[in-house]
This record gives sequence, structure tokens and C-alpha cells, in this order.
Amino acid sequence: MLSKADNSATFAVVAALVLFFIGGILTTVVPPLVDKSWARPFENSDPAKGPTGKLMPLNEQQLHGRAIYVREGCWYCHTQQTRTLLADTKRSGWKGVDSPISTPDEFVYDTPHMFGTKRTGPDLSRVGGKYDTQWHRTHLRNPRDLVPGSVMPPFPWIVNDETEFKSLVAYLQTLGRAKNWRPDNDYER
Amino acid sequence: MPEDKSLQSVGATPLRTAVVHSDATAKWFVVSSIAYFFIVGIIALTIAAKFVWPELLGTVSYLTYGRLRPLHVNGMLFGWLLACDMGLTYYLVPRLCGVKLYSEKLGLATAILWNIIILSAVVSLLAGWNKGWEYAELPVWVGVMVVIAWVMFGINIFATIGMRKYQQMYVSLWYVMGSILWTAFVYMTGNFAVEFTTGVNQANLNWMYIHNAVGLIFTPIGLAAAYYFIPKASNTPLYSHKLSMIGFWSLAFVYVWTGAHHMLHGPISQWLQTIAITFSLMLLIPVWAVVYNFFATMKGQWQQLRENVPLKFLMSGVVFYLLTCFQGPMHSLRSVNAIVSKTDWIPGHAHMALLGCFSFFAIAGTYYIVPRIFRTKLHSDALANWNFWFMMIGGLGFFVTLWLGGFWQGWQWNNPAIPFIDTVKALKPIWTVRFFSGVLIFAGIVTFAYNIMATAVNAKDRAALEGGL
Repeated sequence: MLSKADNSATFAVVAALVLFFIGGILTTVVPPLVDKSWARPFENSDPAKGPTGKLMPLNEQQLHGRAIYVREGCWYCHTQQTRTLLADTKRSGWKGVDSPISTPDEFVYDTPHMFGTKRTGPDLSRVGGKYDTQWHRTHLRNPRDLVPGSVMPPFPWIVNDETEFKSLVAYLQTLGRAKNWRPDNDYER
Repeated sequence: MPEDKSLQSVGATPLRTAVVHSDATAKWFVVSSIAYFFIVGIIALTIAAKFVWPELLGTVSYLTYGRLRPLHVNGMLFGWLLACDMGLTYYLVPRLCGVKLYSEKLGLATAILWNIIILSAVVSLLAGWNKGWEYAELPVWVGVMVVIAWVMFGINIFATIGMRKYQQMYVSLWYVMGSILWTAFVYMTGNFAVEFTTGVNQANLNWMYIHNAVGLIFTPIGLAAAYYFIPKASNTPLYSHKLSMIGFWSLAFVYVWTGAHHMLHGPISQWLQTIAITFSLMLLIPVWAVVYNFFATMKGQWQQLRENVPLKFLMSGVVFYLLTCFQGPMHSLRSVNAIVSKTDWIPGHAHMALLGCFSFFAIAGTYYIVPRIFRTKLHSDALANWNFWFMMIGGLGFFVTLWLGGFWQGWQWNNPAIPFIDTVKALKPIWTVRFFSGVLIFAGIVTFAYNIMATAVNAKDRAALEGGL
């Protein structure tokens, strides 16, 4: 049947687009209509169902921090997803508590999404509350002062700009916090 | 349907038609793309060096890793590879149609606009105007210019095909048409539709774009070139027309479904992951159909590889295509994905696709067309051979060390008893080898660029000389 495309450019064009749109529509337009959890912000008040908490939109300062995170390309080396792998829940965990697995409802307000594709540095999906502001200041000024062997670039121009630095830290402290996953509430500020 | 040894086969297409091609557009695209290949090659080396010496240029915000990496990726994808492929398309479509290009003026305007786009991209990315989507980092106004340029390219190519003298269309023409059409939708999804979504929904669109930027832009336009230049460079007819049809139509159907395999084990619906895995495995069909066709074409002709540099690039590109497209489906299996995903294996894989396969095709096409469009002969065959071996050895060094390192890294990550920083330190020797492999690849780029530019300049001297006589 498709041999008709040999001689007719119009037929080739139509066939190529029809085949493309079948898969295109079924995998991009349809899934969010079928799976409502992609658009429903996380909210849970029943500890029996896992960590409690509520996903809040970021405030102005946190959004500014997020814009800096995007601008400097932090997301090229840091993912933001605790996958359904045991090792991920351990690695994103902290002080003996495993991290809850990331779910679509934790990212409803994210744009641009920051899931990431490459993990040159550790995953940041639950970094919020792990380190205090002073730690971040020292680390951003020169990562190797705190983590010998790190290959992260230094970011002096952020640390030297107090507004930018505070915003960035404010954003980092929100990561993974929709789910209240520390039983002792021992989050750093 | 006529069988394979007919006029369908490029090797047998009557060469000496009365049409005289101007090729001005092809010249502009190819020459400027090579300039970007060289410039962005320097950026590539710089970021590879930053893995070895993290302090390098570290206090200059414009030159930090996070700003140079998107410049490297976008520069290589759009400044070098796509522009070069477009140049090759402007060359091969008129020849396959037996007519002149619809409009060289429109073509030159497209070339100028394309250069404006790439220069805008350099400024925006260094300034940190990054939209935050991989492969779609460029500001909206640059994206709009890309769409306009693409429409100009499409009009020119489709109008040429519409005027064609040979009614039956060779397989390269379908791939070119497919590429132009699919790119339009894929690009707009990745650059504009994402603006209206958030979270996982947006990520799904983003990965549909990332995946199909390779699968439905670079693959079809690259295969169009390979389908043209393999028979041409070896002067052998294509093995099977039927097989090329199977390859094309299965690519049209299965490629677009697979975006979600970039999020396996991640926060996206399991059933969508399973669909992506299923279709990723089906990718073996279009790939093996194409690769079998190319290998069968070379049957009895392999001795040509000894002398024929474009053919060396083409057939090594085919082998890399086979390997990279075998890795892809395998990465999508959940068990394999749990080890290799997000590791340094992935850049090894990605570079084999875009450097090892599609850039090799583009380089081969350039070596084939440049002497013809400048009506001269190549400056130096020996230098072209050096170019091949620099890139082959550098490329293999790059791919293989990153696979080994990435696989090792993945195993380490899966043992949470190993602190993360130890998995970073473990990769340092790998990154050092990668940097020096990059130096070899860059040496290949330099020899390539020099050879092509010398050919172009000599052609002018020769023309002047002949004019003087």
C-alpha cells in the first residue's frame, strides 16, 4: 500500500504525518487526561498513607532562587527525582531515614521541570533542610572546601550577591519538603 | 514497483543531465557549519577539561560549566550538524529530482537567517538566558527564528520536489520530507507547547522532543544523506528498495512513542513507561532494515574502504548507528536502565549517535560534495585520511571509556554503602581519558576544517588563474 508513496509526494506526506500523529497524540496529549495524578498537587493528612504534607507554590524569593538554579545550569548535573530504586531512596535519605519515592503530584507547580537526565553530582530531590545556610555559602564559594574530590564549579558571583545567594538557598530548602519525611522534623534552615 | 537495479538506485541514475546546479546555498550552509564545528569544538574541549580541572575558568560566570554545556550541545546540534545536513540536502534534492533548486535566493536568505540564529544562541547561552529545557534552552525569539528558517527550508525543498523530472522518488527524498515535516511538530512541541504545561506533563513533552530531536530530525536527515552518499561514493546501486521502504515507514510509526523511556523508574505513570519500553524495542526494526541494506550494498565492494575516505566515514557511521541503536533499546529495559541511567554511560551513547554516526555521515557528504560544488579536487586526500583516524580513535576512546566508567559508576550507585563522592572520585581517570580523546577528536575537526577551507580557497585561485588565461 505504501508503495504509492514512491510516486506521489502528497501521499508520502499524508502517510508520514498520520503515522507520526498516532503515536504523537497517544503519548503526549492522552496521558495527562488519563492519569490525573500529574496535575493534582500533593496533599496528605493521614500518616497511615505515608508522609503527610501539602505541596505549596513557591513564593517570590524561592522563584528567584529557582531562576538562578536554571540560569547556572545546576540541573545539568543534579537530578531531582528519587526513583523507584532502593539505592535512590537510601542515597536521597538522610541520617538513617530513607527518602520517600518522588511522585508526580510533588512537581505540579514546576516550570521548567528540573527532573534532569545526568547525575554528575548527587540527586537533590530531598536536599531541602539537609544543610544550613552557612554550609551552602561555603560550598557554593568553593565546593572542595567542604567536599574534597568534588568536581562542582565554584559560584563566587552568587555568593557575593547576597540577594541572589539568599534566594537560591531559599529555593534549595524547599526541595522535597512537600512530603514531611523527617520523623523528628530535624530540618536545617 | 520496479525492482532494485532500476533508476531508483543512485549509482545508476544518469549523472550527466543538462541541469547546471548553482549550489550557492549548499556552499554557504556547509562552510558556515564547519566554522561552528571548529568553534564549538573548543567549547567541547573546555567542558571536558573542567571535569579534570574543576577550577578552570571557574570564577568567570560566562564560562562556567552550566553555561558552556548548553552552548556545546546546541552549537553542535544546530550550528554544526543540522546546518551541514541542510547543506547536503540542498545539494542532493535537486540532483535526485533532476531540476535546479527552486530558489537559490530563498536558500541564501535561509543560510543568513541560520547564522543569525546560531550567533544569537551563543550570546543568549553565555549570558545565562536559559529556558531550562534540555535541547530547547534558547530564548523564545530564537525559537521563532528557527521555525521561520525551517519553513523557508521546507518551502524550497518541497517546491523542488514538486517540480521534479523523475516521477519516482528515491528513498533519500522521503527521508528529507519526513524530516522536514516531523521536525516542525517535534520542535514546536519541545520549544513552545512546553510553555503551557508544568511538572510531569511538561517533562513528558520535553522528553518527547529530546528523543525525537535525535530520532525524527537527525536520523531521517542523516539517513537521507547516507542513502545518497553510500551508493554514490562506492558507485554501487542500493541493495534493496523494498527494505528501504520498511525502514522508512517503521521509523515513521515507532519512533515517536518512546519519549517516556527517559524517565524509567521516575515519577511518571508505569503504564506509559511500559509503552515507551515496548516501542523502544521495536526501534530495532527500522534500524536493522537500514543497516542490512547498507551492508548488503557494500557486498563485494568492501575493498573500496582502503582508499575511499568518504566511504570509510560512511561505513563506520553505519556500524556506530547499529551499535548506538542497539544500546538504545537495551537501555530502555528496566533492569539495564537501573544501572546505566543518569551515569556517564549516557554521554558515551549520545556521542556515538551524534558524533560517531551522524557527524561521520555529514563529514563524508561534505568530502563528497565540496570538490564538486567548487568544481575542483580535494586539497589533500592524505589529510582526509588523518581526519578519519583522529576521529575514529578519539571517538572510540571517548565512547568506550565512558561506557566502562558509566557502568562501573552505576554499579557503585546501586550500593548505597559507597558514599556518593567516592563514585565521583572513581571516575576521574575516566574523565582524564575522555579529555585526551576529545583532543584527538578536535585534531580531526581541525584537519577537516583546514582541508575543506583549503579546497574552497584553491578553487577560487584556480578559477582566477583560468580567468586570467
